[in-house]
Amino acid sequence: MPRIKPSTGPWARGWTRCLDAVASLKLTIACLVCLMVLVVACTLAQVRMGTFGAVNAYIRSALVWWQVPGLGFQLPVFPGGLTVGAVLLANLVVAQGRRLEASWRKSGLWLVHAGLILLFVGEFVSGARQVEMQLAVEEGQTVAFLESPRDLELAVTDVTDPARDEVHGIPESLLAHEKMIAVPGTPLSLRVERYFQNAELSPRPGLEQGSLATAGAGTSLVARALPPVSRDDERDLRAVYVEPIAAGKSYGTWLVSNALAAPQTFTHEGRSYTLSLRQRREYLPYSLTLKKFSHDLYPGTDIPKNFSSLVHLSNPAHGEERDVLISMNQPLRYAGKAFYQASFGKNDTLSILQVVENPGWLLPYISCVLVAAGLVLHFALSLGRSLRRRQAPLFAAEA
Amino acid sequence: MKIAKFIPWIAGGLALAFASAALLPPAKVRGFDLDGFAGLPVLEGGRSKPLDSLARNALLVIRSQQSFQFQGRSLGADEWLLDLLFRPEVSDTQAAFVINDPDVLGLLGLKQSSDRYFAFKTLEPSLAELERQATAAQAVEAQARTRFERAIVNLFERLVLFRKTAETKADGATIDQWTRLGRAWAAQDAVIFNSVVGELQTQAKAARPELVQKAERELLFNRAQPFYAGMIIYVLALLALFASWLGKPAWLALAQRTALGLLCAGALVHTAGLTARIVLQGRPPVTNLYSSAIFIGWAAVLIGILLERIYRRGFGTAVAASSGFASLIIAHHLASDGDTMEMMRAVLDSNFWLATHVVTVTIGYSGAFLAGALGLAYAAWRHLAPRPDPATGKTLASMAYGVICFALFFSFVGTVLGGIWADQSWGRFWGWDPKENGALLIVLWNATILHARWGGFVRVKGLMAMAIFGNVITSLSWFGVNMLGVGLHSYGFMDSAFFALSVFIGSQLLALVLCLAPRRFERRVKLPRPAAPAAELPQPAAAV
Repeated sequence: MPRIKPSTGPWARGWTRCLDAVASLKLTIACLVCLMVLVVACTLAQVRMGTFGAVNAYIRSALVWWQVPGLGFQLPVFPGGLTVGAVLLANLVVAQGRRLEASWRKSGLWLVHAGLILLFVGEFVSGARQVEMQLAVEEGQTVAFLESPRDLELAVTDVTDPARDEVHGIPESLLAHEKMIAVPGTPLSLRVERYFQNAELSPRPGLEQGSLATAGAGTSLVARALPPVSRDDERDLRAVYVEPIAAGKSYGTWLVSNALAAPQTFTHEGRSYTLSLRQRREYLPYSLTLKKFSHDLYPGTDIPKNFSSLVHLSNPAHGEERDVLISMNQPLRYAGKAFYQASFGKNDTLSILQVVENPGWLLPYISCVLVAAGLVLHFALSLGRSLRRRQAPLFAAEA
Repeated sequence: MKIAKFIPWIAGGLALAFASAALLPPAKVRGFDLDGFAGLPVLEGGRSKPLDSLARNALLVIRSQQSFQFQGRSLGADEWLLDLLFRPEVSDTQAAFVINDPDVLGLLGLKQSSDRYFAFKTLEPSLAELERQATAAQAVEAQARTRFERAIVNLFERLVLFRKTAETKADGATIDQWTRLGRAWAAQDAVIFNSVVGELQTQAKAARPELVQKAERELLFNRAQPFYAGMIIYVLALLALFASWLGKPAWLALAQRTALGLLCAGALVHTAGLTARIVLQGRPPVTNLYSSAIFIGWAAVLIGILLERIYRRGFGTAVAASSGFASLIIAHHLASDGDTMEMMRAVLDSNFWLATHVVTVTIGYSGAFLAGALGLAYAAWRHLAPRPDPATGKTLASMAYGVICFALFFSFVGTVLGGIWADQSWGRFWGWDPKENGALLIVLWNATILHARWGGFVRVKGLMAMAIFGNVITSLSWFGVNMLGVGLHSYGFMDSAFFALSVFIGSQLLALVLCLAPRRFERRVKLPRPAAPAAELPQPAAAV
């Protein structure tokens, strides 16, 4: 095993020993086994917590916490996926430098490990940078915005001009602080009195029962906090009490929730504003029009054969006007985003596209090629050596 | 001694002849041209198939068998269909329904006895009650149903299928033709029956010749039952091999070669069946759980033959024949869900990804199972061999090592290709879906084994024990995740297999303990030990 340099001094020796420990095969094996335990736990937990919840608890966390039954605190019981992944990555990188000699014999392993590092980096990039949105469009409708399937925003819309709405979205993460928020581009400020991650709205039983709301639909309702849902097929109902303030004047406290469909309006200095809590939107510089949604079945059955959406893509900035057919396994990749056929509804007239933006999407492809080539090379080299060893005695006997 | 040289070839040839005998056109049953009737095309489940497939699949779902005894003779699926269509009074008295659940039997007022098969006539008085119970049970979410609720829903669905099958009509047949055919069968008039069948065939050939040709091919495939024949040949190969180990040394080489000859014949039959399915379906080999079992066995057999060619100790043949047999048995049990060539749901409808991702991942499963089978062989051999023989242990371990490398390669590439498919079709490379996790577990475990071996933490015994544990992980990934009933891949949800899976895992853990346990005769029999039994040395500390 080649060492870089004979170390001198206790610090250098300590450093060397530390690096050796990080590079050790034992650590590799420990990490692999920990990862297996996490994957099994995450898979089993999906039945109970849903995929999103289980992945957050076991994989996208530094530590796995265990709620002590009957007591109000949690104990860390196992390293989480982030920790194990980081240690494994460090192990891989350091081992590459320290243990693995740069020789033809080991060239396959070099490729494999480089590919694995790329795969890990790709997963970290995806975890940090991947944005998943949705685009729901009905036949004949034109849509130029995406909606987040999970995050909400408080939309303050200036509806004074009937031809044009001016929307100011306040992300949920700001609301959760329950503070004063200035709405940019307007004279308004919002004081967030209470924010519920998941709430139940019920009719206010009587006037003696206090409600925070002093205006709008909230005056006849009470919001009660509920624990957030974790199953994939359930959604939280958010609610927030806000008090719009402009030029030192309060416009009352409003209850805004995504359970309340109708927007609530107030007027300040001749301009009308509506408040609504809706899925967070991202506006696009281009638009999609759904021309036709098809849902084909195999003849005589209700087994789906194909789903596809024929959309018209219009981007005035580039002078682009064209039709695109998006179907299962055939997404539209456009302007850094990929549009996938995800779902449908309203008696096959509504198409829901999943829109994903992931700057690291190409990394797994490169990684796959590297690892596959590396494994083939390594096993071929080892097989060659092993066959030569097996034949050596034969040749010796013949000679 | 000259003839001895050809015995393996003769054995293989005889096995092939046995398998292809079923391809010969069958004789007319009591003068009726059943074959002509069975080959008429019909559209069902979204594809055109021969009436024979419809009859077999329906009977398989309803009775879990493709033929049964009635009035002292064997009744095939085609005859059963004819009775169901045209002689309902006879069909109602045939015991076509299998009922195992004691509570369902109790509901029907039937006693639990050794005879688990019941006629429609027996169920008829309780139909209203059955429907009421089934409707109540269907309201419960599939995964939350009790055993009784599952059984009652299952029986009700089979009754619906029974009724639906009774409405079958061959494509293109006019009402008049179908009525004439029915009258002829009801009167058991073979002459008229055969003439109407001939008429229908000519008519179908004129209208849609390609459908008739396809239906006839599928009929031939149904009749040949290549996987059943393959199963028998694999058992014969195993028997020949056992004989080689029991017999005299002179016999050993011959019996071993005969076993290999039989194994190759079995592999040929298996390959023919697999190819026929690919051609009939127009799809890559693996499209559902059933075909994955067929394919896993096939790949394991091929690798086993390769190992036998390299190492020539009989172990390759042993593990190949037993893996082939086991996978075909599993496939046989998986077939009871109905049509094994069903249409692909939209999300899976991509021949390119089925051919790359699914096939690669399934080859990875094969490799992992084959390594596990070598581990089992090692565990058995360790305790049965008359004296410690480190050389054989080493041979087995190097076979297993090679197979694990193979498995790691295919499972890794397959898993990543799956991620790429997911990225292509819904923009998420990795979603921690249970099936993805299962594949990842196999990759991680194989990588763990190899790293433990490279680090010198395990030698022969440890490697074999880890390979056996690989069986547990692979079976969980293959079947277990489907039982969770969550995620995108839960296309094969089934709870009847849960018990079988538990037994399998239990047996593997037992084998693991056996593999690690000290040799049975080690202390009792003092044999002169060969020098330096390296395989049995205590593990040295890590040398990293």
